[in-house]
Amino acid sequence: MNVTSAPEYQAKDYKSDLKPIWCPGCGDFSVVQGIYRALAAIGRPPHEIAFVSGIGCSSRIPGYTTAYGFNSVHGRSLPIAQGIKLANPDLLVLAAGGDGDGFSIGGGHIAHLIRRNMDITYIVMDNQIYGLTKGQLSPTSQKGRNTCTSRLGSLEEPVNPLLYVLAYGAGFVAQACPTDLAGMAAIIEAAIRYPGFAFVNIQSPCVTYGEEGQQVKALKAIAETLESLGHNPADRLAAMDLAQHYGSKLHLGVFYQNPEPPPTYGDLVKERQELMAQTALPRERILDLFLKK
Amino acid sequence: MTLNGIDLAKQSMMDALDLAILVEEEAQERYEEFALQMEQHRTPEAAVFFRHMVENEAKHGRELAERRSQRFGAAPRKVTRAMLFDIEAPDYDAARAFMSPRRAMEAALASEIKAEIFFAEALPGIQDPEVRALFEELRAEEIIHQALVRAELARLAPDGPDADDFVDEPVAQ
Repeated sequence: MNVTSAPEYQAKDYKSDLKPIWCPGCGDFSVVQGIYRALAAIGRPPHEIAFVSGIGCSSRIPGYTTAYGFNSVHGRSLPIAQGIKLANPDLLVLAAGGDGDGFSIGGGHIAHLIRRNMDITYIVMDNQIYGLTKGQLSPTSQKGRNTCTSRLGSLEEPVNPLLYVLAYGAGFVAQACPTDLAGMAAIIEAAIRYPGFAFVNIQSPCVTYGEEGQQVKALKAIAETLESLGHNPADRLAAMDLAQHYGSKLHLGVFYQNPEPPPTYGDLVKERQELMAQTALPRERILDLFLKK
Repeated sequence: MTLNGIDLAKQSMMDALDLAILVEEEAQERYEEFALQMEQHRTPEAAVFFRHMVENEAKHGRELAERRSQRFGAAPRKVTRAMLFDIEAPDYDAARAFMSPRRAMEAALASEIKAEIFFAEALPGIQDPEVRALFEELRAEEIIHQALVRAELARLAPDGPDADDFVDEPVAQ
């Protein structure tokens, strides 16, 4: 994404008139503030931004953002975001949702956006539970977790979102947390500036159905920045090594940023269109393609 | 509490005043958010208290802005909101649906203590005597605010059932 920094927009310019109805104390309140700050730092006007989501608590976020917004269907934020980006490549396209939306019903889509290197920033608010539907086991719930659909404890290993996207070859992979709003905003900004598919996993606690150890105070106690560990974000294997600690440690920052980003799908499409335009028939001769010579 | 790109030890008086104004502005906005959340979740008593805090923070912000204006006019601000987080604003996770006025006041008290700690920790490193005096004044104000909130808390009747009793228990769907 080619973006310019212009200080003419402030975070509040991206705040919509809708009042969030998340539970008080929800991590998503600070996530939306982080998104406002990142967008202000990027400086694109709201009419040049499209924000797509699926279904879930966190998927309400486009409604709370002043931009084009689409609160779509469960798990389908990415295909819709992809369509928007291809139809209007000049738009800055963001997609967002929860861990259930992204890694359960929508899990199949992520790989394809990554392999195409779609220039989209995907923000997952990972609370390890289906909160909107009253606390069922989600794909990132820890093994042994007791929920209303796993009364004796979950028998399943959780999906590791960070390893998942790294394994498919995502060019930008990061993790943030409401414990550090400024850091979160900087990470989202860097993700938007990355020219290609960028993934940001945000540990955003559910205050209603989340466990004590997943709340902000507990996360604050265990969070450590990748920078403080001396991690080099250009080292993909080191990123994969660190990503394995998902669920046991909380590493914040950029796990991986491809230092030599490949062309985006949009770039390749444009190149192909330009090539084809050179040999394209004029409109009045278009049917000649179907006629025998 | 987070500060990015601000060297408290070497800040100028103008930057210090701007930082103080932004701290009040952030707290004011957070209380405004909390008040809205309480109104959305049918918790009117806590909403009223948070609205009161909005007015307080706005009043302090105006006073500081007036001083800044008298002293430095319209000189461009170098400190921005992106440089700070949660100095005096209550933590996002301090809010709860159906929280009692007591819990709302306790959240505010924790914020005033947090702000006092911020100014107290900054003080030893500050070199400029004028900035030091300002931070001492701001710290003292936070202590006064704490006393006011504590006095209000002492007047409150004890809480009834725990607010968490009203939160839905997970049920099979």
